[in-house]
Amino acid sequence: MIEVRQLTKTADTGTHRVEILKGINLIIPRGQFAAIMGPSGSGKSTLLGLMAGLDSPTSGQVILDGVEISGMEEDQLAAIRGRKVGFVFQSYQLIPTLTAEENVLLPFDLNGSANGNDGSDGPKRALELLEAVGLSERGDHYPVQLSGGEQQRVALARAFMVRPPILMADEPTGNLDSANGSHVLDLLIEMNRREQTTLVLVTHDKELAARADRCITLQDGRICSDE
Amino acid sequence: MNKSSLPWRTAAKIAIREIAASKSKFVFIALALSVGVGSLAGVRGFGRSFRAMLLSEARTLMAADLSVRVFELPTAEQTQVMDRIVAQGARRTQISETVSMLSAGLSAGPDAPPVLVSIKAVDPAVYPFYGQLGLLPPGRLSEVLRPDTIAVSSDLLIRLDLKTGDRVRLGNQEFRIAAVVDTEPDRMAGSLNVGPRVLLSREALDNTGLIKPGSRSAQRHLFRLDPARQEVEAVRKELKAAFSDALITDFRETHPLITRGLNRSERFLSLISLIALIIGALGVAATMHSHLQQRLDSIAILKCLGARTHQIVRIYLAQTLVVGLAGGLLGCVVGIGVQAVFPLLIEKFFAIRPSTHWDALAALEAITVGLLTAILFTLPALLSVQRIRPSVILRRDHESSGDAWSKRWRAPAPWITGLIIALGIAALAAWLAGGSLADATKTAGIFAGGLLVSLLLMGGVSWGLLRGLKLFLRNPVWKLPSTLRHGIANIYRPGNQAQAVLVSLGVGVMFTLTVFLIQRGLLQQMLASAPPNMPNVFLLNITGRERDGVEELLRSRKEVQGKPEVVATIAARLRTVNGAAVENLKLEGPLRRFRQARAVSQSAEARPQTEVVQGAWWTPESARAFRENHVCVIEDTAKSLSVKPGSRLEWTVGGKPIQAVVACVYKSEEVRMGGNMDFVFSTGSLEGLPLQYFAAARMRPASVASFQRASFARFPSVTVINGADVLEIVQQVVDQIALVVRFISLFSILAGIIILASSVAATRFRRVKEVAILKTLGASRRRVMATFSVEFLVLGLTAGLLGSALATGFANLLLVSLMDAKSRFDLLPNVVAVALSAIIATVSGWLASYRILKQKPLEVLRGE
Repeated sequence: MIEVRQLTKTADTGTHRVEILKGINLIIPRGQFAAIMGPSGSGKSTLLGLMAGLDSPTSGQVILDGVEISGMEEDQLAAIRGRKVGFVFQSYQLIPTLTAEENVLLPFDLNGSANGNDGSDGPKRALELLEAVGLSERGDHYPVQLSGGEQQRVALARAFMVRPPILMADEPTGNLDSANGSHVLDLLIEMNRREQTTLVLVTHDKELAARADRCITLQDGRICSDE
Repeated sequence: MNKSSLPWRTAAKIAIREIAASKSKFVFIALALSVGVGSLAGVRGFGRSFRAMLLSEARTLMAADLSVRVFELPTAEQTQVMDRIVAQGARRTQISETVSMLSAGLSAGPDAPPVLVSIKAVDPAVYPFYGQLGLLPPGRLSEVLRPDTIAVSSDLLIRLDLKTGDRVRLGNQEFRIAAVVDTEPDRMAGSLNVGPRVLLSREALDNTGLIKPGSRSAQRHLFRLDPARQEVEAVRKELKAAFSDALITDFRETHPLITRGLNRSERFLSLISLIALIIGALGVAATMHSHLQQRLDSIAILKCLGARTHQIVRIYLAQTLVVGLAGGLLGCVVGIGVQAVFPLLIEKFFAIRPSTHWDALAALEAITVGLLTAILFTLPALLSVQRIRPSVILRRDHESSGDAWSKRWRAPAPWITGLIIALGIAALAAWLAGGSLADATKTAGIFAGGLLVSLLLMGGVSWGLLRGLKLFLRNPVWKLPSTLRHGIANIYRPGNQAQAVLVSLGVGVMFTLTVFLIQRGLLQQMLASAPPNMPNVFLLNITGRERDGVEELLRSRKEVQGKPEVVATIAARLRTVNGAAVENLKLEGPLRRFRQARAVSQSAEARPQTEVVQGAWWTPESARAFRENHVCVIEDTAKSLSVKPGSRLEWTVGGKPIQAVVACVYKSEEVRMGGNMDFVFSTGSLEGLPLQYFAAARMRPASVASFQRASFARFPSVTVINGADVLEIVQQVVDQIALVVRFISLFSILAGIIILASSVAATRFRRVKEVAILKTLGASRRRVMATFSVEFLVLGLTAGLLGSALATGFANLLLVSLMDAKSRFDLLPNVVAVALSAIIATVSGWLASYRILKQKPLEVLRGE
């Protein structure tokens, strides 16, 4: 479960301060697929980042699976992320110097036998996940040798590698054409169901949001609708 | 597998692949490190192999198993001890060494002045016990050296235009040159090695009349022990008891005098190499910093995936280690070259050459120091990983634009990192300096402190210069041509390591120029600043019988200007200070000299150019009323021994005890022979002792030769030293030292050049794109070249200006504060240094950018 209480975030641009989030309160129960929508600059990605422990809020609380993460040190947050959160980004964000298989395996290398892995099934699971996203033949390819859709599928496989209870996706189809976007989305939802994760997805795409259990809309740093 | 930890294997994999992806950048930083490592490995390797050779060849270098060196003829008791050792089975021979004048007589023409030579008298039947004395033409020493023959070094023949068979005069006797001394095993272990060598038999030396009681000569007693009956340690102890002032060495150790010189040189050159290494490490740090900036996204992704700071640091630490190791290994190859060049640079100092085998330990030491230095300087870049927020991946535009200055100054991390770097460098300097803990700590403190101040100064000044240049560029008043404007603006290109290039190139220029300016300043000072009445000719070894004659000669010769000074002297050994034995006084370091025999003097009245600090000098009248001996003590000595007027001192002079009460403490401003005697006795105190005299006079430089001839004709055993000759010897030594220091400091410049090239490599992609756009917009290759040239030229000029300004400052500081010379500004060397720095920067910048220019714009723009 993800719980957010009175969350605010202010950014210093150097010349002035911008209030990005202005007191957000929400609860996303375990296993729910929640979409966050809103126009550019409404604070969607910032909210996602704060819920994932990628940044610290200016004030308020974020509670992930009963653990309050808002006041944590950087390395404690990293440990929480490693165990509890998987990520899928708009621009794939694979490590360019690692092969597809090594990229999928990376969370396992970083977090060891977290979430019930016995420590020896890492490479096996990486291959299974690559197979699940249809890239079993391309495990030894570097990101630069893969298409955008393929890179995003590798990113999907990586996100599920350590069986995180929560998955955060930031415009996962934003950089893909419609065919590839649709394929990635299908995979994401299918894998989410199979792995029983809580999925939080930031998107501009209403069609995509329509497939979610719940749609939260932000405007000017506030929740304007929650359906 | 360790829970929650990125294995080193994965870290190394990412590190190595990143290196492979940016090869040229990492090759340059490995090169920058290799320069310093090479310099250090070469210096240390040479030192170690030289020391090993000294030890393995100790018998040959001493020509004996055991050597006793003293500056007095042995007493009856000492002779008895040596005879006893011989009776137990040892063989003994005595070598006497001194300096004197040798005249070529008619063979070299009537105008040839006598030459100062270093004389060595041996017993040709037994010398040397070990090693070979090389003669040309080859022959047995006992057959070559007769009572009327000598062997000389080839430089004497060249200097006086002589050949074997010619006749020369030495002291009271004429000799035939029977052979040329080609090699001499114990030359380095000898004393009073000034001027060409003259080798003769002891009998021949007696005939010259040069050695008289009180003469300044070194005596070496060489022993070849009977290994079956004698143990070196026991013999050494026996000799030490008899010769308490002597320098005793045996074959189990390296010669202490040579070792001391070698250790000092090695320590000094190691520290200069460490500076070259630090410059390389600055390059590594700058490159790692820009590399991390380029890897911001990857680091943020790793953090998103749960990587802890230490796990990410592990990747970039592995990268530093890999590059550092590569640089270190490459440096070992450079070190072999440095080690091979060294013997050529110092051949005037050391007559022998060590075998230049590769020294694994020196190489390992240099690699370790290289790696540690690289890690130390990369620390700030590595620790900056902690500040990278994973949210960069989502919204870089909302990242804070940077902490305010006030906040940065208050943050403890940079200060702690700075402290760690300073302490680390101090520890490395202490390690390289070696010696006692106190010495090493002192050297390390001075080195680290000086370096820190220099780097801060350099960093601050280069920051100011770059900032000033930027302001100049932005000022609309200056209507600069676009090529110039664009070229200067390129210095501020993101990722350009302008400040690191300025500091490293500037440090190199500063070092090389400082050494040159000190060398030049010191010698010119010596030449130009001698006051008009300062003596420039010195007469040594004047006996009591010759004294009046020499004074009369000085008075009668018209070449002599002003009043010559004649000073009496004798070797005296201080025994007690206010009743306390000198052995029991706490005398450390240079103060230990008071336990040995030192020259003392006597005077009828206050010495010229002296100032009384405490008490009063005697006058000829007041001295007549003295019931006991009086002595005046120079200020530094009085402080060291804690004596003041009224204190009582006791000496042994020529085997006789002498007591005196301190009449005054004085100081002497003048640097002249005898001007700084520790103890000056009242007239009569040294009565009946075999006093020697020396004289000093001022004469026109052109007249010195004619005076030398006249003096030699009347007093052949009196040594006349021309100040200009001394200056020439000093200049040779200074030139030799400067050559070695310049050679090592060139490595700093090389490191600077490599950093400049690395900076070009680091910004290659930006440059490639920029060139493509410029070419697309119609810029010719020439125009692009001009723009790049301006960038490198300005960097080189600025580094040159920075280095030369600091070099002038440092050189003057050292000249004025340590060497009592005058402050000076030499325009020409500064201009040459700035110009060379600009040329070096431009040429090396060009070499690094050559490939960039060749690329076709379409290739680049398509590849976008």
